[in-house]
Amino acid sequence: MVRAVDGVNFTVEKGVPLGLVGESGSGKTVTALSALRVVPRPGKFAGGKIIFDGEDLLTKKESEMRKYRGRRIGYVSQDPNSSLDPLFTVGTQLSEVVQAHEKVPKERASERVLELLQRVRISEPEARMRAYPHELSGGMRQRIAIARALAGEPDLLIADEPTTNLDVTIQAQVLDLLKDLQRELGMTLILITHDMGIVAEMTQKVVVLYAGRVAEVASTRETFATPKHPYTSALLKAVPRVDRKKELVPIGGNIPNLITPPSGCRFHPRCRFMQEICVAKEPALDAIGGGRQVSCHRWKEITLEGTSS
Amino acid sequence: MAGLLSYLLRRILFAIPVFITVSIITFLATNASGNPVELVLLGIHNRTPETLAALNAEFHMGEPIYTRYFLWLSDFMHGNLGQSLYSGTVASKILPWTATTLELQIPALLLSFGIGVPLGVFSAKRQYSKSDVAVTTTAIFGISMPTFWLGIMAIIIFSLNLHWLPSFGAISAFPPYWWGSIPSDALAHLILPLSVLTLVSLATYVRLIRANMLDALRQDYVLGARASGLSDFNVTYKHALKNAITPVVTIVGLSFGSLLAGAPALETTFSWPGLGYEFVVAATSLDLPVVQAITMIITIMVLVANIGLDLVYALLDPRVRIS
Repeated sequence: MVRAVDGVNFTVEKGVPLGLVGESGSGKTVTALSALRVVPRPGKFAGGKIIFDGEDLLTKKESEMRKYRGRRIGYVSQDPNSSLDPLFTVGTQLSEVVQAHEKVPKERASERVLELLQRVRISEPEARMRAYPHELSGGMRQRIAIARALAGEPDLLIADEPTTNLDVTIQAQVLDLLKDLQRELGMTLILITHDMGIVAEMTQKVVVLYAGRVAEVASTRETFATPKHPYTSALLKAVPRVDRKKELVPIGGNIPNLITPPSGCRFHPRCRFMQEICVAKEPALDAIGGGRQVSCHRWKEITLEGTSS
Repeated sequence: MAGLLSYLLRRILFAIPVFITVSIITFLATNASGNPVELVLLGIHNRTPETLAALNAEFHMGEPIYTRYFLWLSDFMHGNLGQSLYSGTVASKILPWTATTLELQIPALLLSFGIGVPLGVFSAKRQYSKSDVAVTTTAIFGISMPTFWLGIMAIIIFSLNLHWLPSFGAISAFPPYWWGSIPSDALAHLILPLSVLTLVSLATYVRLIRANMLDALRQDYVLGARASGLSDFNVTYKHALKNAITPVVTIVGLSFGSLLAGAPALETTFSWPGLGYEFVVAATSLDLPVVQAITMIITIMVLVANIGLDLVYALLDPRVRIS
């Protein structure tokens, strides 16, 4: 059995946008899909709790869980090119989601779809409703995926790398849209990304994941200014900046294979502060004051470079 | 809609050169296998110059080969399929053969599609479970065993040993009829070949649908649809299945074309007097006009089936229409 995420523990506060950060394969998406209980087969829960609004989602029946999906927790998936069914029109796909949330007649559902499309700032919404996904641009498709996630007016929106496959100007538009939607609808956002720039712009709190475990939890400002985990620091150094002449430092090596994860601290093979204890013993996720948590044996001894965001 | 119409028109235009090419090859190949006049003369004991002249005129033997080709094609297009070298006109024979083949093939297609699709979905939803393993193992068995072997096994078990069903033909030529009446007799003859044929093509559909469903269920749109609160039933049968079934339409279309060709091996095993069986008989006895006619009819059916298939595909998948 591969434990794709293991001992991942963090809290999302209402109204505080949270960034879930890590390299590909670090368990960001699995964490998000777990909250909705839609982890694809053969994935399953070996244990743990997912508390939403005081209730443990893992103990819910499938029928109860459907009341959470879309209605309490919305999800926007990574790739706008594949997030919509190619064989149905945009209007059909959105109105079936609307109708899954509330029993309304067809005409009312299409009115709702029109509102949703306007909400995500789609131009000519009536014409777009009749379009098939392949007739739309990537940015437009991502907006429609966002509209679908908003159909049930969720309290929490999980956006899984919402801008990965979009070009830069469209990225900025989609991020702006997400920002405005949080304000207008009072949603809380969990943003999954590996782009520290987006984290700085969009979030107030950061959870850094590494190889299926939490490396560090801190407010966004503190994460950038005074990272406590060597991995967080390394991530920051790998971000290109236009305003500063500084070499980019790549993180050597690859994310470990989770079939045989490294002993002790999972980051030790790539860590420049590695000592014997890091190989021998797995570090706990320690609360270090000020709401921060870090999972490193040596966080007190080492000084890490941050960056002003 | 205009796009769909011009799409259809393009498909039809593409079919014409295929038809002409096949007709040339068929005509040349059959003529290369023997001189029809000499073949007929083999069966005539008192040959007179008159019969010889009549035969030469019938097959236009005085003309060069390309003229003969055009004359033959023109006859064919006018519905004149010519005379069998043995007895009767080709047209009068082919019609009942076609009917007999369809009597077997259409139920087989409907059954195998009707059973294969739900079974494939069932299997995909329970990937690697015991029931999935049972279904896929049976499917691999159905695909791997040659049709004629399955047919022979069915005959040995159900006809020879158990005496439950007849072993050959489409009807009993004379009483006693199976299970008392003529319709029940036809049904009894149908059961064995139909079961074997269904098992074989069923296996193909099960495997295809299962693989396509597994693929579709892994797609982001399925995840997105589930995550936005759609029911599992809706996601599986509306979104995933429509995506999974679209490529299978191709296979249905192709097998629809080959329906007419019959399954020569199967029809021969059960001596089922359909096009496939009669084609084998005509080819071994060098009944050239019959071979030509059957080949051309199968060609037309395959072309028509392909055009129909392209149309269904375009209706199912909006992305096809733009190209």
